[in-house]
Amino acid sequence: MQYFSLVGNYVIIMLMKTVYVGMSGGVDSSVSALILKEQGYKVTGVYMKNWSRDLPGMKCPWAEDLADAKRVAVRLGIDFEVWDFEKAYREKVVEYMLEEFRKGNTPNPDIMCNQEIKFKLFYEKAMAAGADYIATGHYARVKPFSGTPRLLRAVDENKDQTYFLYRISDEALAHTIFPIGGMLKPEVKKLAEKKGLHNAYKKESMGVCFVGEVGMKDFLKEYIDVQPGEIREIESDHVLGYHEGAVFYTIGQRHGLYLDGEKGVMNDGLPYYVVKKDIDNNIVYVSKNLNHAAIWTNNLKLKDLFFRSWPRPASPSTKVACSSSSRKNEPARSSLVSSGSLPRVAGANSRAAALRIATSQKKSSSNIGVRLRHRAPLIPATFDGDTLRFESEIKRPASGQSAVFYDGEVCLGGGIIV
Amino acid sequence: MIYLDHAAATPVDRRVLEAMEPYFAEKFYNPSAAYLPAKEVSADYEAAKATIAHAIGAKASDLVITAGATEANNLAFTCLKPREYPSFSERSLAPVVTGIGRSVFATSANMLLERGHSSRLLYLVTEHDSVRRVAEQYGGEAIGVLPNGLIDLEELKRKITDETELISVSLANNELGTIQPLAEVARIIREVKLERMKRGLKRQLLLHSDASQALNLLDINVARLGVDLMTLNAAKVYGPKGVGALYVSHEAKLSPLTYGGGQENGLRSGTENVPGVIGFAEAVRMAKEHLNGNRKKYAAWRKILLSELQGYELINKQHALDSFVVLCYNDVDAERLVFLLEEKGVYVATGAACAASKGVKSHVLKAIGLTNEQIAGSLRLTVGETNTEEQIYEAAKIINGVIEGEYDRCSG
Repeated sequence: MQYFSLVGNYVIIMLMKTVYVGMSGGVDSSVSALILKEQGYKVTGVYMKNWSRDLPGMKCPWAEDLADAKRVAVRLGIDFEVWDFEKAYREKVVEYMLEEFRKGNTPNPDIMCNQEIKFKLFYEKAMAAGADYIATGHYARVKPFSGTPRLLRAVDENKDQTYFLYRISDEALAHTIFPIGGMLKPEVKKLAEKKGLHNAYKKESMGVCFVGEVGMKDFLKEYIDVQPGEIREIESDHVLGYHEGAVFYTIGQRHGLYLDGEKGVMNDGLPYYVVKKDIDNNIVYVSKNLNHAAIWTNNLKLKDLFFRSWPRPASPSTKVACSSSSRKNEPARSSLVSSGSLPRVAGANSRAAALRIATSQKKSSSNIGVRLRHRAPLIPATFDGDTLRFESEIKRPASGQSAVFYDGEVCLGGGIIV
Repeated sequence: MIYLDHAAATPVDRRVLEAMEPYFAEKFYNPSAAYLPAKEVSADYEAAKATIAHAIGAKASDLVITAGATEANNLAFTCLKPREYPSFSERSLAPVVTGIGRSVFATSANMLLERGHSSRLLYLVTEHDSVRRVAEQYGGEAIGVLPNGLIDLEELKRKITDETELISVSLANNELGTIQPLAEVARIIREVKLERMKRGLKRQLLLHSDASQALNLLDINVARLGVDLMTLNAAKVYGPKGVGALYVSHEAKLSPLTYGGGQENGLRSGTENVPGVIGFAEAVRMAKEHLNGNRKKYAAWRKILLSELQGYELINKQHALDSFVVLCYNDVDAERLVFLLEEKGVYVATGAACAASKGVKSHVLKAIGLTNEQIAGSLRLTVGETNTEEQIYEAAKIINGVIEGEYDRCSG
């Protein structure tokens, strides 16, 4: 390489840290790359090709997204590569998602994508390629604390994406930069404009990009064999209409129900809500009773818990990823203040976190909370090992979605709603 | 702005625009209507078609106006009827009995839907996707090209069987500008036909040619070229987009593409795109008028580019349209060049994988034997009426600068 010929350059090169930044072609990752470049990192942009299949009535925009990402990289004068994760994405994210839907759950593929692709495969490949750090355009922050990285909510509360990031590994997080986590979205846009990047991309990248404009339902229809079935009123067990497949419906949903108006069921103008799904018999149960027990709850059982490392001042931090397999059959309903010995590290840590939630909450309940949806407000709660308890009733989130715990601005981890 | 992508699109010429203008709001009548103003529009439409047809040595009634070249190509492949050659029974609409003793007219609207007879349909491997994809749909078989981009005539001869009914070879390639020896192809076809007749085999054998890129750059005469079907495109010759035509000789019999009011000889029903065809005709008239002057001008510009540009390898050395310069640079990612040039207001195309070609490497460059590295470093410059000689010099300077910058960046 030529830069070794000059001593001055040589020194600079040696001091420059290398960052591989995931670039989607959207404004957030574009500005992230820009910031890193201006901070003096040696930056390589990477487009992760996760999905390219066209769907009926929709052309997958991957090539255009890739072109947008590359155009920005070229304008910034940084290297650019395309990494093909399509096979892994299909196996780890799409198959998981389809399997969950088949079971009647409503999974969150973005969380899985971050856990398995962006902060695993991308991270590993970048490190192998000589990266010191990886970076993404997520709205989140990472702060080291006693040698362990802490995942913090973004400064822009509206855009905070830690809900999607709670399951990424400590190791990856320790090597991650979120360049725009401290910025507000308008600031990001402004910076893009100022640097002339605003013309380099067309649109914001979307979450589940591959279902994009088709919508999840049409996507699922391509992959899940569904049959029409009955919609029944739960109180009377009368058949009120028909649905396109029970897997498409979530508890609490009130749109997209094909009800038979002639029976007078719609006459009072009150909407029906989905309150129960019988996946085995392909029956969707609805009710007009907005107070139906199935819609409201004051507790949520969680599985596949994942607690972020939470270094206690006294002891060195331990890795605390709770894998689903290690916890599946564990009777974890130990009481909150139980001091009985716990056999597993994972259990100990999850309970440590649980304790922390509870104790912190005593101090200041507004400081602690659970997020049940991206951008949803934080709800105060206690956690006793596998069940979240709320002070007042909440609308029940769909099973398969995540509950993510926060202590102030720190993301503690979370679990999948059963 | 220096636009060097005239093979992708051309601006509508001011005169074309002016010619079209009255037919939007003023002479808007349906050509099929009975009253006089509508009849006038109908006459103008027919005259415009005649202008287009005459430019290729054909009659107005030989043309089927389509919404662009893609549709014309699809019409040719999808709607060609199975037919024996020469067929006199066609005129009397009597069923033709095939060798296996059944009526083809009774069983099949379009022959090509019957798959499994790959040699029924032959197409040049470097054809545009609007030929390739539709040919693949019907099980067509590709004919290779030589490293210079010209059709491999020996392979063509080998691949023509008694089943072969249609051969598609573009007049000029859209990525390289390579001008195919259509008359040679037609000669081979004529020989095969004669030989078939001697043996009493009466199957048709037709030549289709996509001439989208060549209409304003070559002197085209369907009889001299020996084609039976030819695709034309207004958008490449300073006419409006979404307007094209398929020339259909009396040898080729097509089934309708759309059903309705029976426009375009019943093959493509739908109210005529009058302004579009008026504009197409004006564009064709201009192309004819300036054909020789433009060719000379473009040839001179090609020379300038080849002498001013540095460090490239020329891909389309011979047999190319004067307006096409296809280059490749070693160890350079041409798509980066496209974006760098775009920043400097120079618009070019590349055959490299990614956005320029929907993530797929150019099948044309692959077919002429370029390596992946060469394809990744390939640029296509196509000059045209938006350019001036100064621009050509300026573009060469900018491209040289950008290339140098990329080499510098790569070497730290």
